Amino acid sequence: MVKDDGQLYTIEGVAAGMIMLFTAYLVLGATSVYTPGDTHISDMQIEQTGTDALRMMNTQVNGTSGTSPLHDIIYNNGASGFNGPEFNTLFLNYVNNRTGSETDDLHYSASVTYYDINNRTTESLPLTSNRNLTGGEHPVRVTEWVIVNKQFPGTNLVENRSVLVEVLLWRD
Amino acid sequence: MAGLNDDAQWIVMMGFVVSFSFFFLAMILNQSTVVGQTTAESVLDFPKNDIRDVRSVIIQSTEVTGSTVDLKNDIIKIAQSRKGAVISYTVTPPTSSDPKTYISIHYNNGVTAYNESWTSP
Repeated sequence: MVKDDGQLYTIEGVAAGMIMLFTAYLVLGATSVYTPGDTHISDMQIEQTGTDALRMMNTQVNGTSGTSPLHDIIYNNGASGFNGPEFNTLFLNYVNNRTGSETDDLHYSASVTYYDINNRTTESLPLTSNRNLTGGEHPVRVTEWVIVNKQFPGTNLVENRSVLVEVLLWRD
Repeated sequence: MAGLNDDAQWIVMMGFVVSFSFFFLAMILNQSTVVGQTTAESVLDFPKNDIRDVRSVIIQSTEVTGSTVDLKNDIIKIAQSRKGAVISYTVTPPTSSDPKTYISIHYNNGVTAYNESWTSP
């Protein structure tokens, strides 16, 4: 004969158990572990920093008329390609400076994309980088349009062209 | 139920209250992580910087001297291949009776469309 005393205690026990299980489920669901899928927040910040830096580089110094530093870097085509060291100094100065003596640790790889008129393709020329991409990084892409009066591969003319400076930016 | 001892109802009730408050706190914590991520995702999805960039280069292109035929072609072709966006714009240069420049800009990357009629100051 089963005794049916204490039914209320049984119901209470079941209810309490369910509440505890559901609470544990919610707590475990609210994971605070930073997984690779959750990098959107820092991506957004790096993208903004990089875009701002490129925009500043593409603005005339002191607001005077004339050409911007970024324009000059692309325009001054030496034997070794674009004026990479100047880009490196200027860009890292903008993105890595922060309050205090410690600098930030952003790395980049920059290229210049132009349209090849003869072959009807979009091509990229390497600009400069301060670290090679190994494939393990999680870079974001920031871009800036530059108008430059220069000859690019695919045409013999020196004329007004617009090129896209593309920078892959990541933090180590 | 005759032999049921119903002392200490207060202790039982406080147990319920405490467990329910844990339950609601856990629910709030659960939602809070999603908020930051969806906000950042939607900011990244919206091509704010692309639109600003292309708008600024189009306006700049009206100020250069010399031919801008290839320049316009560059903007359209590079935007298509590198940004996945279709761009079309027409520039109406100033005339003797109207000293302003008018540009109509159309941008569409399949998700976001942006149209603007720009008038020089």
